Amino acid sequence: MSGDALLAVTGLTAGYGPVEVLHGLDFTVGEGEIVVILGANGAGKTTTMRAVSGMIPRHGTVEFGGVDISGAKPDAIVRAGVSQVPQGRGTFTDLTVEDNLECGGYTVKGSIAEDLERWYGVFPRLAERRDQKAGSLSGGEQQMLAVARAMMSRPKLLLCDEPSLGLAPLITKELFKVLGNLRDEHGMSLLIVEQNAGMSLALADRAYVLETGSIVATGTGDELLADDTIKEAYLGVVN
Amino acid sequence: MSLFIERLVNGLADGSIYALLALALVVVFRSTGQLNFAQGEIGTLGAFVVSTLTLSGLPVWLSILLAMFVGFVISAGVERVVVRPIEHRNPGAVIVALIGVFLAVNQLVAMFWGVDARGLPNVFPDQADDFVTILGAPVRIARLGVIGVLIVVLLLLWLMFNKTKIGLAMRAVANNQESSNLVGIRVGTILVVGWGLAGAIGVLAAALLAPSAGLTGTLMLGPFLLASVAAVLGGLDSPVGAVVGGLIIGLTEAFMVGYVDFLGADMLFPVMLVILLVVLLLRPSGLFGSERVERV
Amino acid sequence: MNLPVRVVKGSWQNWLGRVVLFGGVGLFMFRAMNEWSRSGLGLLTDALIIAIAVTGLNLITGYTGQLSLGHAAFFAIGAFTSAMLVTGKVWSPFFTDNIWTPGWTMPVAAVVCFLIGMVVGIPALRLKGIYLALVTLVFTEAVRALFKYGEFEGVTGGATGIKGFGYLPPSWTGLDGRSDLVKWFFWLSLAILVVVSILSAGLLRSRIGRAMVAVRDNETAAAVMGVNLFSIKTLVFGLSGAIAGVAGSLYALKLTLVDADIPIFGLFGSVTLLVALVVGGAAQNWGPFVGAMFYVFVNDFARGVGEAPSDAVILGWFVDSGTKINGLGGVTFGVLLILFARFVPFGAVGTMRMWRSKLVQVVPRVPAVAGVVDSRSSGPLGEEGSGSVDSTPSSIGAVESPGPIDPDRPDSPS
Repeated sequence: MSGDALLAVTGLTAGYGPVEVLHGLDFTVGEGEIVVILGANGAGKTTTMRAVSGMIPRHGTVEFGGVDISGAKPDAIVRAGVSQVPQGRGTFTDLTVEDNLECGGYTVKGSIAEDLERWYGVFPRLAERRDQKAGSLSGGEQQMLAVARAMMSRPKLLLCDEPSLGLAPLITKELFKVLGNLRDEHGMSLLIVEQNAGMSLALADRAYVLETGSIVATGTGDELLADDTIKEAYLGVVN
Repeated sequence: MSLFIERLVNGLADGSIYALLALALVVVFRSTGQLNFAQGEIGTLGAFVVSTLTLSGLPVWLSILLAMFVGFVISAGVERVVVRPIEHRNPGAVIVALIGVFLAVNQLVAMFWGVDARGLPNVFPDQADDFVTILGAPVRIARLGVIGVLIVVLLLLWLMFNKTKIGLAMRAVANNQESSNLVGIRVGTILVVGWGLAGAIGVLAAALLAPSAGLTGTLMLGPFLLASVAAVLGGLDSPVGAVVGGLIIGLTEAFMVGYVDFLGADMLFPVMLVILLVVLLLRPSGLFGSERVERV
Repeated sequence: MNLPVRVVKGSWQNWLGRVVLFGGVGLFMFRAMNEWSRSGLGLLTDALIIAIAVTGLNLITGYTGQLSLGHAAFFAIGAFTSAMLVTGKVWSPFFTDNIWTPGWTMPVAAVVCFLIGMVVGIPALRLKGIYLALVTLVFTEAVRALFKYGEFEGVTGGATGIKGFGYLPPSWTGLDGRSDLVKWFFWLSLAILVVVSILSAGLLRSRIGRAMVAVRDNETAAAVMGVNLFSIKTLVFGLSGAIAGVAGSLYALKLTLVDADIPIFGLFGSVTLLVALVVGGAAQNWGPFVGAMFYVFVNDFARGVGEAPSDAVILGWFVDSGTKINGLGGVTFGVLLILFARFVPFGAVGTMRMWRSKLVQVVPRVPAVAGVVDSRSSGPLGEEGSGSVDSTPSSIGAVESPGPIDPDRPDSPS
């Protein structure tokens, strides 16, 4: 399976100082696929994201488009086509919406005017507020901005770190619709780490379950949704 | 009236020098959350470089540009070699390292250029009859020139921050280093550039001050302290604040010395303390500073 | 034998360690007094006086987390208080003659600095970090300016300062007036340092000490838990200033003159004290002593390099004997500070503790419940200063202690 995968991760370990958080993860994301990694607080979701995007020291192999990026620095990984929407959105709160998007296109050589118009088209709310400081936007709008900003670098793979965090259910629903559109209309591949099992599994082509730094289950979104133990652990419902 | 105009211009000119130095401090603070204790000394060293270059026959303006480049390299080097290896580990250690840089640069100047005061030619016409008359007051051209330089530097900085890609990246890094990294900005490079820029501005301030103050190894000690006060007064993360703070302090100094006989220059710091306390107790992050800045 | 060796706090092994430590330092002091030259002993005395002031600074900056660059002001106020009292420049109530003996001016200096320190503590309620540091730095220069101010010349001596006083050893010491002056100040400084250190350690063990650390670690949380920020900050600033004031008083009596232009009374002094604190180890009980010793003796060493570069290592190959290089001493000291910050970022004592904790650990006497130590070692993700038993982290001198490393944990060395 890892042969033709866009992202192929094998034996990924990472942590902070002497503490190892991830104990050897294997997972893949195929072209045009949405993969969800489901995990509770402290399972290592954010660490996984930070390890893939090169923000923390890591061991194991990370192959992207057949190229080994395990040792690459964050900016090289962005240039290679992996873009991340960080947890808590991470917008540049003191900068305007448009500045934020331009920062997103920092690695693009040449004009980004077309990209701006394209993503303003997808997110009309951002176009209305292009001269406003990002810090003045609502949580949902900031999350949209974070996604648009990540798309400005023209990535092939989008990493989303708990996009539903702190959002009202209706907004989350809208957001996941947008993420689905990125796959269906823009041909993107997405890797999403989430706690919100219900909505994310419904969207996912495939999913993994992460527990205390190890992957304990995998399957298609529907398979995992139907799994009783998953339901119990992440949806809080027992049939 | 004519005396008032003269003092006003002098205050604005001195204030411009404090403002430049305060701008340098703010640029560094925005990027790394540090007060660069060595900022003034790097400026002094630069002023001595100007002195050496002009003595070798180069025009003053070119000497200043070359010395600014030297200041850029030294200050950038301090970030890369001295500060970065310890930064995230211990703020106290960074303070000690910067004090070490302060001392080393200060004494390096004594080593290479000796301790005797020397003159530095002015980049602006500065003969006895080089003045213009404004509202009946004779105003020295050199003093107006200093104010002009501040305006030009502000304009260039504004253009850089708002119209260039590297300026955008510097604003992004000042706001959120982690996200900057994630959008592909090489944060380390930006920090080096920010520190370097501050070093160059510091040299410019020193080179403008030295012709009137006399070039000695302690040229920038007082101005550094006043510029720090200016930066804090205006808000450590606000370039606008640095300029306003610098001008406030320059004017306070000029009018205090001119009009308040019983205080005079000797009581500058007690007065500064009162001003600082009044402003900071009302606005703990300075006049234009944002509240969230606290990385010490 | 498995390393690290665990030693229970209060056990005989723990006490043995303390006896060896204190005995060693005591022996060093004893030998210094008997065998060192007068100038060497004078330098050591300077280090002790600085150590007293840094002990004061440690309370507010190390343990309470309030960055102060104002302690040279307390040092100066203490010095001038003593000088003014001893020379009868200020009014002595009810007595026509001056009743102030040099020794009794020290507690007065402490009281004066305590009161002023409390006032300086008030801005600390609103200001943080560099903002507070800058305000206290300007306070230092403002105090210096007031002492120099012409209008106050009758009391402070103005620009010329105050001369013509001293502190001869009292007869009960058995020391001979002028010839033993160096020894007298050495013993006096050492005694005051010991007393101040014991008092400071006692304070830290009290409720107030715990409140101080709580304020440093998280001010909001401390306030929510019922710590009165106003009381703690003003009180600790006051105590901290009082200790620095005693050091200043001692300094003036040793120097036999005060003058507002003496560098240690200004910006330079405040920076010196902060550097000594960080270099020794902020929020470490031995930090002020080690930091002051480092500052004074390494500075002296660097000065020696500048004055006789031909004797220095490596450099000596290139320099003819007899040459003196202006500024080289300062450059050397500056570079040493840079290197120290780079390689010993937690201060000498913090780093020594980290090394020691790899060999010996002092653990509290706890009921032998399985997993008590383990739970500490796997604390929060690499948080600074998590869980070390006998060191406390600080905003400025945080010891990034890995905590007790459990040899059984497979992933502990990394």
